[in-house]
Amino acid sequence: MKMIEIVKLIIIFFIMVGAFLNLVAALGVIRLPDVYTRNHAASKASALGIMSILLGTFLYFYFINHHFNSRILLGIVFFFLTTPVAGHLIGRASYNSGVKLWDKSVQDDLKKSKNNPENRE
Amino acid sequence: MAFQLLLNVFLGFMWMLLTVTFEPVAFLKGYLFGLLIIFAFRRFFHSRFYLLNVIAVFNLIYIFVRELILSNIAVVKTVLKPKLDMNPGIFAYPTVLEKDWEITILANLITLTPGTLVIDVSPDNKILYVHAMDINTKKESIDSIKNTFEKAIMEVGR
Amino acid sequence: MFHTAILIAILFIALAMLGFIYRAIIGPTIPDRVIALDALGINLVALTALISIVLDTNAFLDVILLIGILAFIGTVAFSKFLEKGEVIENDRDR
Repeated sequence: MKMIEIVKLIIIFFIMVGAFLNLVAALGVIRLPDVYTRNHAASKASALGIMSILLGTFLYFYFINHHFNSRILLGIVFFFLTTPVAGHLIGRASYNSGVKLWDKSVQDDLKKSKNNPENRE
Repeated sequence: MAFQLLLNVFLGFMWMLLTVTFEPVAFLKGYLFGLLIIFAFRRFFHSRFYLLNVIAVFNLIYIFVRELILSNIAVVKTVLKPKLDMNPGIFAYPTVLEKDWEITILANLITLTPGTLVIDVSPDNKILYVHAMDINTKKESIDSIKNTFEKAIMEVGR
Repeated sequence: MFHTAILIAILFIALAMLGFIYRAIIGPTIPDRVIALDALGINLVALTALISIVLDTNAFLDVILLIGILAFIGTVAFSKFLEKGEVIENDRDR
């Protein structure tokens, strides 16, 4: 009986952390000034948030329903692998489609290399 | 590495056949004894003992998870700060890694580092263009990328 | 208490989805909207997991992987479209 309560507390911890991180990702996407910084918030906070929520769900079904669901574990691995890739793809697409950096941005090394005629495809 | 793994599985089956027990536990036992044999004869192989590569992979996974948690703490700090006083920018990072899969893993790792995100890779795979949330910490990020990540990735591929 | 905590988490996720929808509607550039839509897909997965805890059923758990894959493929297609102007290239030269 005692064991179940501890497991429930752990599950609540994981799920609350995940939900909070998703909320932070949404706040970041609303607050931050340009595409690239928004991409930071969305790709990092969402990744750990969803992984934490799925881990909580897996623990719930394993310890309380005694049902080992391997698809949730697969989902965790899948999100772990794909969220950084998605962030990288969006960043590249937005740079190449000509979205400007924020006005207060300091440095842009990529611009120099794009303007250099040797590197042009 | 692949040859040693194959030899080890073969030794596991050999143990199963020799002891005439066809159970998963018997295979596991044979696999462990085979591992011991391969460890004893490790200087006769061309590549190094393959368990070291496995340990390197686990080390890489540990670094991934640690960086993911650290970067989330950084994102929470930046987003919940009442004033947005950051200096974002793009800096170029010349990498020494050459193979495609190494660069892919490095780009993923950089994306998970606190405050950095890979925007583009130059056509000759030599330079990564990294967008940093705060360009003042550029030196530290470059140091950590060079000393921790590249080393860990090279350890796997050796 | 357990039930209440899960419901609060669902409330958080719903608020986050509202925020992403706001960004997807007003977003000044198209990549903004793509980021918001990607994150919406991820939050949909989280909502599915939490709902299946509340209803105490494992029937919906197959949906998790499906929505995840669809969100990722959608993001890849969108970013390729933004970069090259088409999703499927017919004349590959390499």
